[in-house]
Amino acid sequence: MRTFDTVVIGGGPAGLAAALSAHENGAKVLLVEREARLGGILKQCIHDGFGLVRFGEKLSGPEYAERFIDDFKKAGIEATTLTFVTRIKKENDAFFVTLVSREGVETVTAKTLVLSTGCRERTAKQVSIHGTRPAGVFTAGTAQHLTNLLGELPTKKCVILGSGDIGLIMARRLTLEGAKVLGVYEAKPTPSGLTRNIHQCLHDYDIPLYLSHTVTRVFGDDRLSAVEISKVDEQMRPLSGTEQIVECDALILSVGLIPENELAETLGAELDRKTKGPVCNAQLMTSVDGVFSCGNALHVNDLVDYVSESGECAGKNAAHYKPKPRAEIAMEASDRFGYVVPQRLDINADNRETVLYFRSRDVLNGCTLKMHLDGKEVFSKKYPFLRPPEMERLEMDFSKFPLTASSRLELDIEVKANG
Amino acid sequence: MAMSLATINKKLYKRYHGAVRAILRDGCIVMQGRLDKWADVIDACSLAATKYSTTHVVNDIVCEEAQDKPMRLPALTDDALEGRRPDVLVVGGGISGVSIARELTRWKLRVLLVEKEADLALQASGRNDGEVHPGIDLSKGSLKHHYIRKGNEMYAQVCKELDVPFRRVGQYVCFDKGYLKPLVALYCLWRKRHDGISDTKLISGKELHRREPNFAGDFKFAISNPSSGCVCPYGLTIAYAENAVQNGAEVALNCAVLGMEVENGVIKSVKTNRGTIYPKLVVNAAGVFSEEIARMAGDRFFSIHPRRGTNSILDKKAGAFMHSIASIKEITRSKTHSKGGGILHTVHDNLLVGPDAVETYEKENVATRRESIEHVFKKQKKTMPHLSEGDIITYFTGVRAPTFEEDFIIEHGRKTQNLIHCAGIQSPGLTTAPAVAVDIAAMAVEMLEKERPVEKNPDFSPVRRGVPVLREMDDAAREALIRQNPDYGVIVCRCEEVSKGEILDALRSPICVPTVDGIKKRVRPGMGRCQGGFCSPVVMQIIADFLGVPLSEVKKSAAESTITFGRTK
Amino acid sequence: MDELVCIVCPRGCTMHIEKKADGAFVITGNGCKRGEQFAVSEMTAPMRTICTTVRTVFPAAPVLPVRVSADIPKERIFDVMQEINKVCVKKRLHRGDVVLQNVLGLSVDVIATSDLLREEGR
Repeated sequence: MRTFDTVVIGGGPAGLAAALSAHENGAKVLLVEREARLGGILKQCIHDGFGLVRFGEKLSGPEYAERFIDDFKKAGIEATTLTFVTRIKKENDAFFVTLVSREGVETVTAKTLVLSTGCRERTAKQVSIHGTRPAGVFTAGTAQHLTNLLGELPTKKCVILGSGDIGLIMARRLTLEGAKVLGVYEAKPTPSGLTRNIHQCLHDYDIPLYLSHTVTRVFGDDRLSAVEISKVDEQMRPLSGTEQIVECDALILSVGLIPENELAETLGAELDRKTKGPVCNAQLMTSVDGVFSCGNALHVNDLVDYVSESGECAGKNAAHYKPKPRAEIAMEASDRFGYVVPQRLDINADNRETVLYFRSRDVLNGCTLKMHLDGKEVFSKKYPFLRPPEMERLEMDFSKFPLTASSRLELDIEVKANG
Repeated sequence: MAMSLATINKKLYKRYHGAVRAILRDGCIVMQGRLDKWADVIDACSLAATKYSTTHVVNDIVCEEAQDKPMRLPALTDDALEGRRPDVLVVGGGISGVSIARELTRWKLRVLLVEKEADLALQASGRNDGEVHPGIDLSKGSLKHHYIRKGNEMYAQVCKELDVPFRRVGQYVCFDKGYLKPLVALYCLWRKRHDGISDTKLISGKELHRREPNFAGDFKFAISNPSSGCVCPYGLTIAYAENAVQNGAEVALNCAVLGMEVENGVIKSVKTNRGTIYPKLVVNAAGVFSEEIARMAGDRFFSIHPRRGTNSILDKKAGAFMHSIASIKEITRSKTHSKGGGILHTVHDNLLVGPDAVETYEKENVATRRESIEHVFKKQKKTMPHLSEGDIITYFTGVRAPTFEEDFIIEHGRKTQNLIHCAGIQSPGLTTAPAVAVDIAAMAVEMLEKERPVEKNPDFSPVRRGVPVLREMDDAAREALIRQNPDYGVIVCRCEEVSKGEILDALRSPICVPTVDGIKKRVRPGMGRCQGGFCSPVVMQIIADFLGVPLSEVKKSAAESTITFGRTK
Repeated sequence: MDELVCIVCPRGCTMHIEKKADGAFVITGNGCKRGEQFAVSEMTAPMRTICTTVRTVFPAAPVLPVRVSADIPKERIFDVMQEINKVCVKKRLHRGDVVLQNVLGLSVDVIATSDLLREEGR
C-alpha cells in the first residue's frame, strides 16, 4: 500500500497550490485529479483577469493554472490524473483513500487530506424553472466547456439567467463567437457578478441587463424555442401578469455555485449553512482532525488568487499537522455578513497570520468592520462600500488578543446612518 | 350498479340543460353534444360511466377549450419496415408493449414492436414513481384487482431474470386519527378474506416511528404493506425490450402508426412513417393514444381522458431520511381518482415525491408546473416534516391514460378480429404488466393458432444481462473488471459514479439509443445532483466517437433535439 | 462630467471624469494610477483585449486558447475576431507562441495561452 503524508483531492488551482505548499513544507504528497489534465475549471476559463493580485498581471485561466502546473512538475510532486476517489475511511489517525483509475482500484494511506474539490453549478430545476425539457438549457459552465474546450457553439440566440461572473463572461464569449445574447436576467435587485464584468462583458457589447426579472418557464419539445420571463417581487417571487415570452434557442444559467463537499460529508465534517463549505479554523482544518479544505470547496471565491492562497494555507498546515487537542472558539459574525471564513479559531494554534475572507449580506456604503472580544472593541476597519459579489480579504494577527477557550469573538459591520 | 340510459340522461339534463346527451351504440355509452370546459366534459363522462364496467363511455363531446395538438410525429421518414409481415405488431414501447413483446418471444413468432418516440418508456412508463403496488385499495371485479397480486408476485422473478434492481421496501399508509383504527382494521380484514391481500398489517404509531424515525410524530397507526416495492420503471421497460430483442423480436423506434387499412373487420395493413406493415395481429398498447389506435382499427369502444402527474426527485442525501414508500391518509370529502402521491425511496437511493393527479385534454404536454410541486410538497411534508424543496434535483410530468371506467381494457377487438387491446393502463399498470403480458401473449397465440400451429421458441432465454454497475461492486470485483477493460476505471459522471466503460456498454446494448438521454436512462450519467453539468459534454464526445460523427450530430433525444450548432470556427 | 467604472482590476472603482476647456481630463474616484490611465484612454480611444480560441488540426484539442498580446482598439474587436477565426493551428504550439503576427497591422500578436497542444502531444 502506498503511503503519503498528504493526499490532495482535486487538481484545480486550490489543489495545485495546496500540493505545492505541502511539498515545500516537507510532506510527501499525492495529488488526485478526476480529469485527464490538471488545472480544474481554469482550463476552460480562457478569459483574462486572473492573477492580478498574485502576479500583478492579467492572465487567462490556462496561463494562471499552467504557471502552477509548471512549478508542480518541476517540484516532482506525484499526481494521478483520470483518477476518482470512491471512498475515504479514517482509522487511527490515518486516512485510507480508495482510488479508481484505468489502472484499477488502489487504496493509499495518508496522514492528512486536503479537499480541494471545487464547486458545481446550480441547475434549472434548483431555481424552479418549469415547462418542457428540451435541449438548449445549459449551465454557464457547460456552455463554456462546449465553446472553449470543444469548440462547439451551443447557441445562436440565447437568454442568460443570472448575473454571476461566469454568466457575464459567457455573454461576452458567445457574442464574440457570433451568437446573439438577448439579455441577462437577474432575479435580485443588484447584479451578482463583479462590476467590472458588467461593464466589460455586457456594456461593451450592448447586452441588456434586466434586474428583478427571472425565467419562469421554458418552451420547446426538442430544442428550446422560447422562455417566459417574469418580474419578481422583493422576495424574488414571480409576479403574475408580468410574463413575457422571449424567443431564443438556449437558456444559459449562471445562478450560483455550490461547493462540492460530498467527500467532506462522508468524513463527518461539519458544514457551514452559509458557505456550504466545511466549518474551518484559521489553519483551514475542518472539524475532522487532519482534514483540510480550500478553494471553492471551502467557499465560493470570485478571484482565483485567493483560491490559491487558501490552498497554500491548507497545504502548509496539512504538512505540519500533528494530532493534538483543539480549543476552538467561534467567530461570531452578525447578520450583516454573508459569511466569514474561517468560522473558528483554535487558540492552541498559531494564529499570527490569519486571513479572513468575508462578504457582506447586502450592498452597504460607508461602513466599518468591528471586532469585539468579550464585549470590548479590539479591531475596526473602514470600508467605503461592501458588495456581496465582491469578497473581502483581511489579514489579522490574533496572537495580539488575549484569547482563551471561553472568549467571545464577535464580528459586526456598522453602517453610518446617512450612508 | 350501472345506471339506465334514461337516468344518465336525466342527470345530464339537470346539470347541462340539454348541452350533452348519452346514447347507446354498439354496446357503448356515446356522449354527444357540446361543452365549453374540459372539466365539464370529464364530469359529464364520469357521470355516465360505471366504475370497472365493460360498458365503456365513448367521449364525442365537442369542447372548444380542449383542442389538443395533433400527435407529435418523428422527423424520420424511411421505408425500413416497408412490406414487413410480422405475426404480431405491438404498437407502443411502454412497459405494456415491451412486456407483451417479450412474452411473445417464448413462441416462434415474428414480433415487431413500433414506438413513435426516440426511445422506449418516454411517456407514462418513464414518468411514474416506480412503485410496485400491493393492491390494497383495489376491489374485486376489476381487471386491476385481477392482475395486481399476480403481477406483484412475479416481480422478484422477472427482475432477477432481466437484471433489474427491485426492492420490496414496504409501504405505509399513515393515519393521524386514532379513532379510525377499528374501522381500518376491519377493512384490512375484509381485504384479506375477500380479496386475498394477505400480508397487510396494522402497525402502531410507535412501531411506525421505530421503522421510519423521520416520519411525523403524530401518526396514530399505519397500514403496513410489506409486499410493496420499488423498481426503476424505465430500466425495467428497457430490460424487457432488450430481452425481447435477444429472443428475436424487432423494435423500431421513431416509428409512428399513421393509419390502418381495415377490411371486413380485419386489419390488412398498418401505415407508419417507416413503411407499411402487414401484420397478422395487432396489439394496441399505445398508452394515451390507444383510443386513436382503436379508432384507426375501426374498434373504438372506449375513451381515454389524460391525467397529468408530477414527481420530484430528491438528492441522495435526502434518501437517508426514509427507506420505504409512504403516504398519508387524510379524510377528505373530495373525490379523487388517483392517489394524491407519496414519498418513495427509489432503487437508486433518491427520494421521489409525488405524483399529483390533474385532468387534462393534452395527451403529450409533459411540461411541469410550479403549482404541482408546491401542492405535492405541502401534502407530503405532513408525512415527513423535514422534506425540503431545497433537496429537489429534478422533476418531471407524466400523463396517465385512464378510461372513464378507471379500469384496464384487456380484450380482443370487439369489431375488429385481429386486434388485442391493452388500453386504459394507468396505475398500477407497472405492477400488473408482467402478469398482463403473459395473458395477452396467450391470447395472441390462441388467435394465431386458428391459422396455423404456433410452436414454442426452443431458443428462448428469459435472462438478460444489464450493463455492470461498477459503483455497487466491491473493490476486488471492480478491479477485475477494470483489468479486463480499463474504460471501467474512467469515471465520467462524478455524481452517479458512472464510468466510460459502462457508457460504451450501453452504446453496444441490444437497443442502442445513442443520445444523451438514451445513455442517461440506461447507465445514469447526468442523473445526479449536477444534472449533467459536468459530464454531458464528455458523454457527447463518447457518443460522437462511437458513432464517428461530429459533436453537433449528437442529440439530446429526438432528431431535432440539437445540442450544439457546429464548430465555432 | 462622465462616470465610469474601472475595469483594470477587480476592485471596480467608480471614477468621475471632467473634461477641461484645454482638452485635459480630471479624474476623481480612482484608487490607483492605472485607473487614471484607463479613464483617459476610455475617453479618447478605448482599448480592449480579446481572449478566444483558434482552431487546430488535433482531434483531442480541437481549439487552442489565445489572446492578443496587448490591448486593441475596442471598435476593431470583431475585425480581429474574423482574422483569428481564419487560423488553423497545425503545429504543437507552446504557451506564449505567436499564432498570428501583427494582426491587421495593429502591432499586436495573437498568442497561445496554453500548453494544451504540447501536453496532448506527449
